Amino acid sequence: MAKTVAKLVAALFAAAVASLAAVAALPALAASPALATSPAVAAGPPPGQLVIAGLESLEPQAKDSVSISLDASLLATAARFLDSEQPEDREVKAIITGLQGVYVRSFTFDHAFVFPTGALESMQKQLHTACWQPIVSVHKGEERSRVDIFICQLQQKARGLAIIAVEPRELTIVNIVGAIDLDKLRRLQGHFGIPRLPEEK
Amino acid sequence: MSDELERMLRRALRPVDPGEDFTARVMAEVSAEPGNLRARSRRAVWIPLSLAASVILAVAGVYEWQQRQREAGLAARAQVLEALRVTNEKLDLAYRLINTSSRPAPHRAPGA
Repeated sequence: MAKTVAKLVAALFAAAVASLAAVAALPALAASPALATSPAVAAGPPPGQLVIAGLESLEPQAKDSVSISLDASLLATAARFLDSEQPEDREVKAIITGLQGVYVRSFTFDHAFVFPTGALESMQKQLHTACWQPIVSVHKGEERSRVDIFICQLQQKARGLAIIAVEPRELTIVNIVGAIDLDKLRRLQGHFGIPRLPEEK
Repeated sequence: MSDELERMLRRALRPVDPGEDFTARVMAEVSAEPGNLRARSRRAVWIPLSLAASVILAVAGVYEWQQRQREAGLAARAQVLEALRVTNEKLDLAYRLINTSSRPAPHRAPGA
């Protein structure tokens, strides 16, 4: 009897130590290169997801950079921390529900920059596959600004959105994977620091 | 019937002499006991202490895990908001570029 209890205690102790060790290992796991790289590594990206690569050379030149990679599980985690009682949080929750990923790369420079050719070609190649269609392509020579917006549609359903915005001192690439509702997105304007678009006349 | 039962009981419960070595045997058992008692009492202390340590470790582990989940959730929430802000900003830029390119250039007075 005493031996059984001792074994049970030892097992409990070992389990507790193992769980602590697992918790301690979590950040290292999340930061491991195998997981930090694109989820495309395992089985190829789902429709609507771009593999954004080749922008590393811009990072040291940039004054500010934003790199956001939220896969479905991180979006679900974020959704748990959005309060449905708050109208603004509720709207964000409605937008991200059903999304499989949100990826943003943005660089701000002190000077003019050159879009890395490899990255541009890779993105153009991906955006010429069957599901992607350009919906907006606007180029303003005077402002030296260009915005291209693509939408990925499969079986009449939106599967992704891509925005490539090139300004004289800023480069931004946004890729939203899943069914994004631009109307809902627009409703967020004026909240959370999101700029408000002028009303159409 | 009850007499028979009584007789049987008396027979079964009759006093029996334990023998001369009984006291010696009992005393020998008693003198051997302290070691066992000490071992038992040591085990009795060690088991609840280990159980308590396991419970404390498990509770600490769960608390730590919950804290990390909370931190990760808040960070993910902030990233979602930042991503939506950047997206809206670029949609705004596209809207502005479309609007300015579709409008006629403002008339400027010569020399202005």
